[in-house]
Amino acid sequence: MSYIKNEVKQGVTIHKINTNKFKTNLFSVFIATPLKRENVTKNALIAAILRRGSKNIPSQDLISKKLEEMYGATFDCGIEKTGDNQVIKFYLETINEEFLPEKEELTKKSLNILFDLIFNPLIENDGFKQEYVESEKNNLKQIIESKIDNKRVYSFERCIEEMFKDQPYGLYKYGYTKDLNSITPQNLYTHYVELIKNSKIDIYASGKLEDDSIFDIIKENEIIRSLSQRQAIYVQNSEKTIKIDLKETQVVEEHMQVGQGNLVLGLNINVNGEDSKFIISVYNAILGGGANSKLFQNVREKQSLAYTAGSTYRRQKNVIFIRCGIEIKNYEKALNTIKEQLEDISIGKFSEEDINNAKQLISESIRSITSEQDTEITYYYGQELSDTFISIDDYIKKINNVTREDIEEVAKNISINTIYFLRD
Amino acid sequence: MKRIECTQIKEEAYIEKLENGMKVIIIPKHNLEKKYIIWGTHFGSIDNRFIMPNTKEEVFIPDGVAHFLEHKMFEQPDGTNSLDTLMALGLDANAYTTNNHTAYLFECTNNFYEGLDELMDYVQHPYFTDENVEKEKGIIAQEIKMYNDEPGWRLYMNALDCMYKENPIKIDIAGSVESISKITPDILYKCYNTFYNPSNMILVVCGDFEPNEILNDIKSRLIEKEEQGEIKRIYPAKEIGINKEYKEDEMEVSLPIFAIGYKDDNVMNNSEEIVKKHISIEILLNMIIGKSSDIYKELYENGDLLTVPDMDYEFAEEYAHILISGQSKNPDKIKEKIEEVVEKYKKEGLKEEHFNRIKKKIYGDYVAEYNGVGDIARMFLADSMKNINSFDYIDKYSEVTKDYTEQVLKNVFKKDNMVMSVIKCKQ
Repeated sequence: MSYIKNEVKQGVTIHKINTNKFKTNLFSVFIATPLKRENVTKNALIAAILRRGSKNIPSQDLISKKLEEMYGATFDCGIEKTGDNQVIKFYLETINEEFLPEKEELTKKSLNILFDLIFNPLIENDGFKQEYVESEKNNLKQIIESKIDNKRVYSFERCIEEMFKDQPYGLYKYGYTKDLNSITPQNLYTHYVELIKNSKIDIYASGKLEDDSIFDIIKENEIIRSLSQRQAIYVQNSEKTIKIDLKETQVVEEHMQVGQGNLVLGLNINVNGEDSKFIISVYNAILGGGANSKLFQNVREKQSLAYTAGSTYRRQKNVIFIRCGIEIKNYEKALNTIKEQLEDISIGKFSEEDINNAKQLISESIRSITSEQDTEITYYYGQELSDTFISIDDYIKKINNVTREDIEEVAKNISINTIYFLRD
Repeated sequence: MKRIECTQIKEEAYIEKLENGMKVIIIPKHNLEKKYIIWGTHFGSIDNRFIMPNTKEEVFIPDGVAHFLEHKMFEQPDGTNSLDTLMALGLDANAYTTNNHTAYLFECTNNFYEGLDELMDYVQHPYFTDENVEKEKGIIAQEIKMYNDEPGWRLYMNALDCMYKENPIKIDIAGSVESISKITPDILYKCYNTFYNPSNMILVVCGDFEPNEILNDIKSRLIEKEEQGEIKRIYPAKEIGINKEYKEDEMEVSLPIFAIGYKDDNVMNNSEEIVKKHISIEILLNMIIGKSSDIYKELYENGDLLTVPDMDYEFAEEYAHILISGQSKNPDKIKEKIEEVVEKYKKEGLKEEHFNRIKKKIYGDYVAEYNGVGDIARMFLADSMKNINSFDYIDKYSEVTKDYTEQVLKNVFKKDNMVMSVIKCKQ
């Protein structure tokens, strides 16, 4: 087996993925904490500040210089929403030593830099460096405000926000500009200390790592040794989340200067349980998974109503989103066509071919997971957060076992929760 | 078959020129599940005027034909769509059109040969009718509107408008709603017969293949066509200098976006030389405004830049330019700083330590491109459309010296050829 995990201490786990497919090694650290209105902005800001410099490498240009010297190693961090958790992700990628023009040791060096940046921040007056906090507050403000720039992404975010109003999943992963004023270098640092003490920490190493020495390298790292064991606080994804039960569909319209309308529908699925997720995946693929899907065929191809038409299944929250870019005057027509597709599936109006196409599409994407390092890491991390384990082969088996009856049953339990339309 | 290799990164490629003039490139990757195939024709949005090799007829086509043709290739006489057929096999299939080529591709782990049948069948069998051409106009008009709403696309088009007066690179790849309304089946067939002749095409595969076997599999699926003579493409005369220094628009963006361009008047033909020049330009761009540069540090700390701008050198036979683009509340300041540091580097020369460090970084960037079958195949296709061997980026790397790069700096980063396009926030 090419995937091994090893808990260093309670709440801190190392995962190794041995693969010979890549020219690079990828190391990452994920810090998971429950999504909360009062913390969401702070956590987003912390990621940005840590990136500015650590005690040992105190500025960004020094970090860059070190990375460039290591044949352009890349360091990156980001904020993700995974179910009801906010996850701060850090990545460091280097060329595998085998492909360097001259021999050089890069693995240990990479890990030292990565851990130093995350766990050994630059501190002054019992807080983060004031200058970094101020400038990152400005930057974060701009990132939050720029949400509106990409209309497709914006519409999607807005639909999620409306559908999960006052719930953790409705929060924007980068937070809110009005929170920024009250954040000081000191109160942010206090929050950081708690975050590092209590969160679930997962360290992933992917690359040509044939022996297990990587575990020792990480375990023996001073910084990792100094982390305390913890009863990690996070939201397990398999936990049932509050069922959204709106009797009537809510319709939200927003006006902006756009040439094209963006229509997003959020769907309730009143079926839960780990195994039903495989059925819902197949349902979603039939509905809007690809060029053979009902949405693509009927909204785009047959009626030329849209340039894009498809759907996405958010597994951790057990919801489906339909997304279309349409001509504004075609709103009613497009919406009716979408409703017809939902109705058709629930009364069994789909072919064996539709089912097979859907299964093929999913199996193909599951089989492709090991072809990208970060995708493979994300696959294992998703399982880590839901405390399940399923191999890629078993996953495909489960998909292939889904029957027509299963799909119809699921389809009867699906309803439209929110219709969001961005128009002129 | 010719075998080329790049020992440094342990990769090899096989190249064959078939009797009908088509070029096949095979890059075996034995430890990967994924397979990737891409079949391209040297026909892009800039090829809007040409002489058909057989009839010697001169043809002047409306803007957006290459892209329109790409859309229409999927449609079959029996009413099916090849994109759906490929997707039904579980393949990730797609097509795209650029300034200088059009490509049809798919990626998969299973059913490769079923996919190969379909791909090679539909690319060789066009089917255009008045009715299906009319229907497509609606879909493409939507796509054009979508692009028009995208500030990034407008920014790019405006930057090109600044750098060029007549060059067809200024044409929107998809054309305009007006120009595509003039497209007819006859125009599509003329373009198809001219540009989809095998002698104008390149096919690249990457994945777990035995080179001779896959080559035979490809050959056996080709229908017989004779190599046609050279396609004479008619472009306006090469322009020296720029069209205008500055262009701005207002759109709904939260922060202005900018694209700073240096038009390069020296479009080169020697492919090895182009690779070296390209490497030098990438090193220079990183030295000027890359992550560890002095001006990036200053601009970031003042809040004038949030991230390192995108930096790119785009070139083909008919155009060459650098684009530096990003988001900033103060685009003028970015331009001023770039000008300043370029002049400084010209006057004082490049620092040895800085140059070597960035050169190492660029090496890593090139090696990392060999991580996925898709990246590799697309790179080989795009490079060979320009007669470039992709391995040269690794092999010629050591020949790029500081002196050479300083020369490139003087030749390419000319103040007189500098332009800026800005999209401001709508009030």
